[in-house]
Amino acid sequence: MAGSNEVNLNESKVLFFFFFFIFILCGQLGFIWKLENGDFVLLFNSFWYVVKVVPLNTWVLISNFKLAYNLQRRPDGTFNRDLSEFLDRKVPANINPVDGVFSFDHVDGATGLLNRVYQPSSHNEAQWGIVDLEKPLSKTEIVPVIIFFHGGSFTHSSANSAIYDTFCRRLVNVCQAVVVSVNYRRSPEHRYPCAYDDGWAALKWVTSRTWLQSGKESKVYVYLAGDSSGGNIAHHVAARAAEADVEVLGNILLHPMFGGQIRTESEKRLDGKYFVTLQDRDWYWRAYLPEGEDRDHPACNPFGPRGKSLQGVKFPKSLVVVAGLDLIQDWQLAYVEGLRRSGQDVRLLFLEKATIGFYFLPNNDHFYILMDEIKNFVNPNC
Amino acid sequence: MVLYDSAMSAGSSSGSSSSSSSKPPPSSLQQDIDGLLAGAGYKVRSSELRQVAQRLERLETAMGNSPADLSQLASDAVHYNPSDLASWVDSLLSEFTQPPCQSEFMMDPVTNQPVVNNGWTTNEPHAPQVHQNIPYEQQNLNPQLTVVTAMEEDSGIRLVHMLMTCAECVQRGDLSLATSLIDDMQGLLTRVNTACGIGKVASHFIDALSRRIFQGIGGGGGSILGGSAYENEILYHHFYEACPYLKFAHFTANQAILEAFEGHDCVHVVDFNLMHGLQWPALIQALALRPGGPPLLRLTGIGPPSPDGRDSLREIGLRLAELARSVNVRFAFRGVAASRLEDVKPWMLQVNPKEAVAVNSIMQLHRLLGSDPTRTSPIETVLSWIRSLNPKIMTVVEQEANHNQPSFLDRFSEALYYYSTMFDSLEACTIQPEKALAEIYIQKEIANVVSCEGSARVERHEPLAKWRTRLNGAGFRPLPLGSNAFKQASMLLTLFSAEGYAVEENEGCLTLGWHSRPLIAASAWQAVSDSAAEFPTWDNRQPS
Repeated sequence: MAGSNEVNLNESKVLFFFFFFIFILCGQLGFIWKLENGDFVLLFNSFWYVVKVVPLNTWVLISNFKLAYNLQRRPDGTFNRDLSEFLDRKVPANINPVDGVFSFDHVDGATGLLNRVYQPSSHNEAQWGIVDLEKPLSKTEIVPVIIFFHGGSFTHSSANSAIYDTFCRRLVNVCQAVVVSVNYRRSPEHRYPCAYDDGWAALKWVTSRTWLQSGKESKVYVYLAGDSSGGNIAHHVAARAAEADVEVLGNILLHPMFGGQIRTESEKRLDGKYFVTLQDRDWYWRAYLPEGEDRDHPACNPFGPRGKSLQGVKFPKSLVVVAGLDLIQDWQLAYVEGLRRSGQDVRLLFLEKATIGFYFLPNNDHFYILMDEIKNFVNPNC
Repeated sequence: MVLYDSAMSAGSSSGSSSSSSSKPPPSSLQQDIDGLLAGAGYKVRSSELRQVAQRLERLETAMGNSPADLSQLASDAVHYNPSDLASWVDSLLSEFTQPPCQSEFMMDPVTNQPVVNNGWTTNEPHAPQVHQNIPYEQQNLNPQLTVVTAMEEDSGIRLVHMLMTCAECVQRGDLSLATSLIDDMQGLLTRVNTACGIGKVASHFIDALSRRIFQGIGGGGGSILGGSAYENEILYHHFYEACPYLKFAHFTANQAILEAFEGHDCVHVVDFNLMHGLQWPALIQALALRPGGPPLLRLTGIGPPSPDGRDSLREIGLRLAELARSVNVRFAFRGVAASRLEDVKPWMLQVNPKEAVAVNSIMQLHRLLGSDPTRTSPIETVLSWIRSLNPKIMTVVEQEANHNQPSFLDRFSEALYYYSTMFDSLEACTIQPEKALAEIYIQKEIANVVSCEGSARVERHEPLAKWRTRLNGAGFRPLPLGSNAFKQASMLLTLFSAEGYAVEENEGCLTLGWHSRPLIAASAWQAVSDSAAEFPTWDNRQPS
């Protein structure tokens, strides 16, 4: 958000191409500003043009996903799961610490669900390679446990996808927390409410692990987090947890996947502009929601016409991160509004010039701003 | 202790690895690999990032152009080693055939059916191919989109800044500073991608400025400004193919002419710049199909004389006559060879008072705006004899730009914006060699706007508002182009163009532009009748 507050964008047009021509007109005809974050704003013919530079490797990464995903979705609503699994880059867990983090996979006996657990490595090298599942994380300090739901629009990716494995490792280091990444069942093979059920199961599993307890009171300090569809799952699991009186200390929603039947202004404006199209969004909702349902289903639109207020509900505080170049931002902002109207504690981090997936590679300001915010949010002393 | 850990058996050699996935330590060959993408599971050499990006763009275009192929590709193609992103993208690209290029479009304005004249080939069925590695050099580099690092964008901005400063120096007459700026800009050009984007446009403007500084404003010397009529026709034809501006112009004008000719049995079209006669097959077809039968159509095509004894005007007339015959339209053609439009005298057109006359000017009127204060301005002369023909309609298409301002700097900056937008829109075209030659066509315009003055500067574009004033003042009144023309223009765009083009209605005129910037404007006019113009007294035998 650095710099954007200083510019009053009364009417902003985000240009289609990442690279566009920048014109400096002589005299009074044109003005150009360089913002602190390195972007440029140009006033020309009474329109503000924001020039966005996306790092080249990020562009390559996300464009590759976009095209690969196009190949996997079929127009009839079925999904080429084999191709998807073949193309997805996966990495094994690693009990030996790498950059201060080690991981191992655990299968929940009751559900068959795989969870990948990431932990900060012990300062004592002799302990490396050994996980003691009978001792708590700490008897004195609080060690937060972040249950992470990966994105992929309910359809793509897994807990062991390389991009998410990397992200979870970063989360561990930033927050000095344990991260549990849930390998929830995906659509279209498994529609609503499978992902939420798996999320709930993971929450119950985590809260019942003694070896995830910490602090003087020996309990599991749980946060829920997720990007895209994972953010959506985090919300619904938190709602269910509130009903069941299971304590969740906070929700971190990274451009969460919400939607609705009407077409919002941001959807129309940004359709197809930054990797994502309305058409693909529609496909994924049709694949996840029960057949015949529309996007005002409360799973998709929790504060919409069929949603319900969270007034008076003991819902965790939320950190909602919205990317300014995400076409569904209007829905995400409506979600924030819905939380506020319900009297819930919500912090909005609006990153005006971020595209989806900006957090996959630590090569831009938004990434570092995000990590700072998460660190402060999960701070056990708050 | 229950523990499932696949890494235990996978080998513990990764203890020494610094990457977050258990990969073997990078060999010296792989030191150039982008570390961040490696963490995401992809091996791409940093030095190849841009090319991979470009190939991804091409792949996206190819996928978008053939959705039928896409499903087949998704199910049939065999994918190999997705970690090697470059070769994965290449193997997919090799699965797609080139999109078909439909060069001769014709829309029947009456029935809204495409009428294909030269039956272009359709998609060849493609057989699933074995994975091939296409060497980079062999590929048709087609950057539709350039992703730019922060450093290069800085260079792009500096280029624009320097261009403006240089133009300012030229206006002030400080040629030595301008010259050193040219040198600096040439240097800067080596740091940007001149195949597309700001680099390409800047290089053309730098050339044009150099030309102005070193060769003067006479427009002589250098192949870019000269060129034979034949060469110009070729370039024009490729510009026609590569982007929709001319198609839009022809299409819209034809629609208006067709409507103006309703109920008339003898019609006469005067084309101010015949070129390859690309505009007329569609009109001939439309007239052939009009209810009540076609009229007798006379076409008078004006064009530059052919130096080498070829009569290109006549050749084109013959081809059009052939077409007219094949659809049973009585047709007569006359060519009028003139180097400049102002040299044409109305008696050369042999207009019959009983015919309905349409005067068609596609980007020609602006060439008449160069004024020698000692003579009557050519534009006034020509407009006045057009009026004297009492045409049923005059169709005017002009570049929507302000390239005729008195201040050089104003013209320069306008042109920079205009042609950048136009080049930007051209990036959407993927067909070669159309695109390359279209670019040369545009480059010539740029060179004329920037490096010429006086009678040599013929590209004196003025915006629609100015043309309205001028034409209203010369005794014409506007004939509004209706919503059906608008609808058909929009349809034309969806058929032939990429996303980004936009047709707009502007007080009875139509413009076609790229995103929010109109680049070409089409309008139709009728002479305001007054007694002097009612019945022309021209006699075929009498010179004016």
